[in-house]
Amino acid sequence: MREIVYDVFARKDRGDSLAHIGYIDALDVETAKVYAWTTYDEQNWFEMCVVPRSAIIPVNRTDGPFARSGGEAGAATGGAS
Amino acid sequence: MSDHLDVSALDADQRAALHRFLVSLADSKRILGIRYSDWLLGAPSIETGIATSSMAQDEWGHARLLYSMLKELDVDPVEVEHDRGDEDYASVDPLDEPFGDWAAVIAGMVVVDGALATLLESFSRGRFEPATMRVPKMLDEEAFHWSLASAWFRRLATSSSASARGKLSDATRAMLPPVLAWLGAEDEADDRLVELGVLEPAADRVRAFRDRVRDILAQGGIDVDEAEPSDGWDAARRRGPGHPGHEATERARGDRNRMLFVE
Repeated sequence: MREIVYDVFARKDRGDSLAHIGYIDALDVETAKVYAWTTYDEQNWFEMCVVPRSAIIPVNRTDGPFARSGGEAGAATGGAS
Repeated sequence: MSDHLDVSALDADQRAALHRFLVSLADSKRILGIRYSDWLLGAPSIETGIATSSMAQDEWGHARLLYSMLKELDVDPVEVEHDRGDEDYASVDPLDEPFGDWAAVIAGMVVVDGALATLLESFSRGRFEPATMRVPKMLDEEAFHWSLASAWFRRLATSSSASARGKLSDATRAMLPPVLAWLGAEDEADDRLVELGVLEPAADRVRAFRDRVRDILAQGGIDVDEAEPSDGWDAARRRGPGHPGHEATERARGDRNRMLFVE
C-alpha cells in the first residue's frame, strides 16, 4: 500500500471561502482525514476537506505540483494548453 | 425529574466503587498518552508522528477530565494525579511496558484504545451526570484514533512483510486477554455500578468491544471471539497484578517538575 498526496482545504468561519492550506501524504481517505485534522490544527476550523491531488485538474498551467501529480489532471490538460 | 445519580446519597461501598472506576479509566488514559508520546518521533511518517502526538494530547486531556470527576466524591484530584506510588496505578495491564515497535503501537490503538472507548461509551450512557456531559466530546476525538488505528492495522495485517504481520499478531494476541478481563470485570464493586445504572452489565461491555474489533482483527487472522480473559485480578485497583514501570509513573506524576507545579 503506497501513500498518495491529498491536498487540504479549510475555512475558518461559515462565511469564509474554502482555502488551500497544505497537503499531506496518506495511506487512504481515512488516514488522510486524520492526518489533515491533526497536522493543520492551528485553527478551530469550521470546515476542512481533503482532495486526492490526482483529482485536481489544472486550468491554465502545465507546470507546478498539480500538473505534476501524475493523475488525470495532467492528462486532462496536457493537450489543451 | 432528573434520572441522574445522586452522588451524595451513595453509601461508602458505592462511593469506593465509583472512585475505583474513575481512577481505572483516568490512569489508563494517562499512561496510554505516555505510550503514544514515545512515538512522536520515530513513527513511520511525519504525518503519523503528528497524529500520534495529537492522540497523546487527547489522552492526557481525557485523563485530566476523568480525574476531575473525583471532585464529585469530595476527593482532591491533584493528590491522585501527583502523589501516588507506582504500585497504586490502576491503568490497564498492556500499558505496563512501553510499546516495543510500531506494530505494538497499532495493536494498542485497536485493542487498548478501543476498549477504553467502549467502556467510555457505556459510562456516557449511564446515570453519572459528569460522564453524560463530558464523555461524548472525548468519544468524538476517539473517532479519529479509531480511523488511524483501523487503517494502520489493515496496512500491517496485509503487508507483504511476514515480520510485520507476525509482530502485529503477537502484540494483539498478548493484549486481548488482560483487556477482556478489564472490560468484563464482574466483581462486587463493578456490580454495584451496574446496579446504580452507572455502567452497563459486563457481558454487554465485552460484547460491544468484540463487535467493535471483530472485523478489524479478522484481517490479521485473529478471531476475537476465541480470546478469553486472563486470570488474576487485583480488586483494589480493578486490573490484573503488576503496575506500570517507574519510567512511566514518574512522568505521569511529573516527579521532575514538582517544584514548578501550578494548579
